[in-house]
Amino acid sequence: MRRWWLTLRVGYWLGWQIESNWTDPLLFFIYSIARPLGGVLILVFMYHVVARAGGAAMLGFFVVGTACWPFVVRGMMGTAYSLISDREHWRTLRYVYISPISLRAYLVGRALAQATSAVAAAAVTLIFGRWVLGVPMHLATINAPYTAAAFVLGITAVIALGLIVVSAAVLISGEAWRMPEGVGAALYLVCGAIFPVTVLPPALQALSQAIPLTWWLEAMRRGLLGPAVVRSLPQLPDPTVLGFLAMLTALWVAAALVAFTFAERRARQLGILDRETMY
Amino acid sequence: MSEIARARGLRRVVRATLGRAYPRIIGANRERSWLFYDTVLPLLGTIAFVYVYKALGAPDRFVGYVIMGGATMAFWMNVMWNMAAQFYWDKQGGNLELYMVLPCGIVPILLGMSIGGFVGTLVRAAAIIVIGSVLFHVTYAITQLPLFLLIFAVGIIALYGLGVTFASVFLMWGREAWHMAELFMEPVFLASGFYFPVRALGFWVGMGTSIIPLTLALDAMRQLLFPGSHPALLPVRAELGALVGLAVVFMLVARWSLRKMEYLARREGRLSLRF
Repeated sequence: MRRWWLTLRVGYWLGWQIESNWTDPLLFFIYSIARPLGGVLILVFMYHVVARAGGAAMLGFFVVGTACWPFVVRGMMGTAYSLISDREHWRTLRYVYISPISLRAYLVGRALAQATSAVAAAAVTLIFGRWVLGVPMHLATINAPYTAAAFVLGITAVIALGLIVVSAAVLISGEAWRMPEGVGAALYLVCGAIFPVTVLPPALQALSQAIPLTWWLEAMRRGLLGPAVVRSLPQLPDPTVLGFLAMLTALWVAAALVAFTFAERRARQLGILDRETMY
Repeated sequence: MSEIARARGLRRVVRATLGRAYPRIIGANRERSWLFYDTVLPLLGTIAFVYVYKALGAPDRFVGYVIMGGATMAFWMNVMWNMAAQFYWDKQGGNLELYMVLPCGIVPILLGMSIGGFVGTLVRAAAIIVIGSVLFHVTYAITQLPLFLLIFAVGIIALYGLGVTFASVFLMWGREAWHMAELFMEPVFLASGFYFPVRALGFWVGMGTSIIPLTLALDAMRQLLFPGSHPALLPVRAELGALVGLAVVFMLVARWSLRKMEYLARREGRLSLRF
């Protein structure tokens, strides 16, 4: 366990260096916040060209969804890119693999480093939403324990999703660079990141409820905005949402461990664990 | 000596241009997964924004706005990832050094990249418009088709001129290139009004963001697609004139910038800088 933890820490440190040391801290900060802020402003202007008065609850929906989404982009897609870039860009995967460490712990460390780089974006987006857009998000209405529990479960779910995507990326080569992006775009559509899933067709609604991110975003909105929020799952009370999030996260973590074990074994059998495609 | 090696002058430029365009038009379509991802990824994002308007109870024309924006996004992504950042990929693959020692120079290579990228993206953008319009039952009433096509053509020339300018700047960069291309996504979608009329940003902000050719091209095309209901930034013909100006300016800037940056990159030894 101690070695697992040590590997995770080193993976985290390495991930953070790769993520951030390509430029100076100021440009890195601007880079981190520009995309989420741009995203939330697009939604704000879309909102304003349609309805110029009232409906602040929808703005809150946009702000929390946009603030949380970078964790998915960086955490889930970042985990996959960690493996793919180690394999094809840095060409270090084989050396990492033969060292006496857990590859899972290393990848989880890299994923957490990626998720950390989303913190500034989330914080700035929430502050911007509260103070510039006037989203009703007050200390009095924030349910801190609920939000914290939802956040921890959500990040766990994101890393589990990342491991599942990595499991697929281990077995494919040509499409490996695009596949995480495709998964991210599909999740963006079905998980209620920027609109309530109630507007989706029934089949996609059912699909969205099998993915923990839908429940995570819903729980974060309820925790941060209180009752004055447009809901993706309006029929369910707050504890039930958190309960479903916990249950689905546990299921997806188990699925991720099984999938990764299978994919790793299969890749070794096929001799493709360090296959390069000269993309 | 082969016929290709003997080619001189304009003939050599044309051959080099076509040669570089070939893998983008033919080669890219051989890779079925690229075709899938290049069409489906912008489409998924587009559909998400369509649902935002549906959640807001917006009139149907806004769905058309989003689909147009999604198709335009395909061009922007092509320009950023396959023009601006292309030399970064070429550094990784070792092709950049080969381009630099070619007798034709780097300009036909960039021209070929532009033409090939445009043709490939046009197919994907058309697919986005068709699939999006069928899925959400959007209809368009183009009032002046020749003018519409002219605006599109001039907008594309200006856009790829900007792409060549970016490519020359990116020539200097290593890992930064990837991150900078990412940085120019959502902020540009916002500034150019990909999903809403750019006039909503305010007149002067809209004028400022018109430095990105897609801003004026989208606004002008939307005026022709949704006549009477689109809040225009400028009259269509004024926007066309401005786009022509941008096209000329970007081509001149691209030419100057390419020479300057190539010289700097050679001097500072960055042409083979992989990481």
